[in-house]
Amino acid sequence: MSGRRGRPRAAGIRGPTSALTSYLAANNISAVDIRDSFRQRQQQAEAEAARAAAEGAENGEGPSNTNDEEEEAQAEAESSAMAAERSRKRKRNQEEMVAKIKKGKAAKKSKDAKKKKKRGSDDEDFDDMFDTYKKAKPLPGQLENCELCNKRFTVTPYSKNGPDGGLLCTPCGKELAKEAKATEKAKKPVVRKGRRKIESNRLDGLTFRGSKTLQQLCIEKLAKHSDDIEEFGDMPDSLMNRLSEIFSKKRAMKSNTFKLFLQPELTSLSIHEAAYLETEDFSQIFAVIPNLRKLSLRNCCQFKDENVDYMMEKALHLTDIQLLGANLVSNDKWIELFIARGVDLKSLKVEWLDAAFDDQAVEALATFCPNLERLKIERCKQIGVESIDAITRFEHLQHLTLCFQKEVPRARVVNMIHSIGPNLRTLCLEKFTDVEAEINDDLLEAIQTTCTQLSKLRFSENNECSDAGYVNLFIDWANPPLRYIDLNSTRDVDNTNPEGPEDFPIGLGSAGFHALMQHSGPKLEFLDIASCRHIDHAAFTTVFNPAKTYPLLREINLSFCPVVDTEVVAGIFRCCPMIKKVVAFGCFQVQDVVVPRDIVLIGAPKAQDAIEQFGQVVMDFQVEMQREMGQLGAGRVVPVMS
Amino acid sequence: MADNKETEYVTLVSSDDFEFKILRSAACIAGTIKKALDPQSGFRETTQNRVVLSTINGVVLEKVCEYLYYNQKHAESKDVPDMEIEPQLCLELLIAADYLDV
Repeated sequence: MSGRRGRPRAAGIRGPTSALTSYLAANNISAVDIRDSFRQRQQQAEAEAARAAAEGAENGEGPSNTNDEEEEAQAEAESSAMAAERSRKRKRNQEEMVAKIKKGKAAKKSKDAKKKKKRGSDDEDFDDMFDTYKKAKPLPGQLENCELCNKRFTVTPYSKNGPDGGLLCTPCGKELAKEAKATEKAKKPVVRKGRRKIESNRLDGLTFRGSKTLQQLCIEKLAKHSDDIEEFGDMPDSLMNRLSEIFSKKRAMKSNTFKLFLQPELTSLSIHEAAYLETEDFSQIFAVIPNLRKLSLRNCCQFKDENVDYMMEKALHLTDIQLLGANLVSNDKWIELFIARGVDLKSLKVEWLDAAFDDQAVEALATFCPNLERLKIERCKQIGVESIDAITRFEHLQHLTLCFQKEVPRARVVNMIHSIGPNLRTLCLEKFTDVEAEINDDLLEAIQTTCTQLSKLRFSENNECSDAGYVNLFIDWANPPLRYIDLNSTRDVDNTNPEGPEDFPIGLGSAGFHALMQHSGPKLEFLDIASCRHIDHAAFTTVFNPAKTYPLLREINLSFCPVVDTEVVAGIFRCCPMIKKVVAFGCFQVQDVVVPRDIVLIGAPKAQDAIEQFGQVVMDFQVEMQREMGQLGAGRVVPVMS
Repeated sequence: MADNKETEYVTLVSSDDFEFKILRSAACIAGTIKKALDPQSGFRETTQNRVVLSTINGVVLEKVCEYLYYNQKHAESKDVPDMEIEPQLCLELLIAADYLDV
């Protein structure tokens, strides 16, 4: 069997051979033949074993064996052809081997399948017989009809097997491979969202229980397909605003999608992220919406003088203007705008202006827009003390937010509070410090004596006012309880003395915090005391002891208050039935805290595992509360107040 | 239920007269339907157990019903997969969702 067949094959081999191969060849021993006969014996044994198990075997020769022999006979016939074709033959021989191995595998597979399908039936013999007489599969290089599309094609070693065992042409084979890949992919289990995504949701105030609202689902889907939307149709204002928000967030607010938001009957327009919009887009606003009253554009980098001109010409009902980062508007144009809007202007909010908008502009504002009720000027580099003096002249101002880059003498700020304080509902003063003047609590005193209608107070990043100043402010203050208090980062900053001066405590300390909660606790909804490092543990535990309740408190920020521990946080959960969000960055002592359901705890570096583990717990007091209030609608989105 | 008029299922009717019979508990996830079916409200819907939604067409209402059941099913579970919504249906569905308060 071996010698005769081995010869031509061995003769066909060229190229490097090992010493062993040539030695064996010299002795008329061929490695190929040894391998062939081994495989044959093995397959025979396998086939026999299978047959014995199936108790129906007569024929010792398995179907695959028969095929092999046929092939080999064919190969022999071929290989005895002309010597000129030898080099080609060598290649073909290799291909043949590949095809044989492939076929062997397929045969084995079909045998296995058969074994499973029917054991010991007479059909098997018939099948085997059938296999024996079936036409041999064509070899590489020969032609065959594709099993699926019936096209005639040349068989290669890479031709795929079809579902019924036949061969497939190249396009059909590719298709099949693709399908196989797709099903494999589909079978893979859905990978759980990563920790980062979970954390990101938590920071956004999303709790994980239950499904999103249908509105939320729709809005998210719309944002994904923002480019395909033709028009929004008759959409309520609240939805328009939410769409604008999500388009901005997903960076989908471009020239084409922006046009969807321009509808003639609108009276207010808010674009929260206008950085992708061009000068022409901004002009569109005033061309399309004639009755615009409220305009809010954030990051409107390309808002230029010409837009202001057009706005003055077209938008004759404009009362509220918010422009963030409109740095291409010149100083003179701002003044022209204030003259044009004049007594009609009710609200102006500008932020992040560094090239223009100086003291003169604020001066013009105070002169020509006396009816201004709401003013917000933050991070505008050009303005200084003269602007503070100008603001003093607004008689109707109710909401004031200031954050200056330049330092302003404290006496001027005190003067401003004295003159406009009585009317104010909102007062936000960030970073108003004066290193030159003597440290005192004049600012807090001014607030205490003049402001009696405040509901929102922000007084942050101040390292001058003392704890006693805060105590004075909150004790016997004629102002009713506040809704919103932000006193973050009011502490002494001295690396050599982290505890602060002991005889004269700087910043909101224990006593001040106590007084604050005494004064505003019943109405307080939002409290930010981040970085108020001098409040001690005893103060926290007394304020948040289970006997007290703060019925409206929804959000609290305790970040970087080092004494805050598990007890304090648990106390907050217990004292504040409405609490939705607790921020505790840098509070290393918060550990293993059990977070009740529908409350988000953010930060808490050492409690991450606990948060994930316990975020679903329903506490007994929550059950009681639910019983009292009836079925409480579980809000999914935590309201984040600004 | 104490009130014998309250059936387990209620009927939602779309503008093009498709009727959807769904569980009362699921229907009441939608704030507007809940109010309409609230026995204290005294609306006619409470006696008929039938809510006619003349602004919502059948295709959209079907999706709404699908959502109501989806919401009910996942009410207590974590990491809920988003429901599939066809993009072309989104706008109408959004307006309907706003109207129904879901």
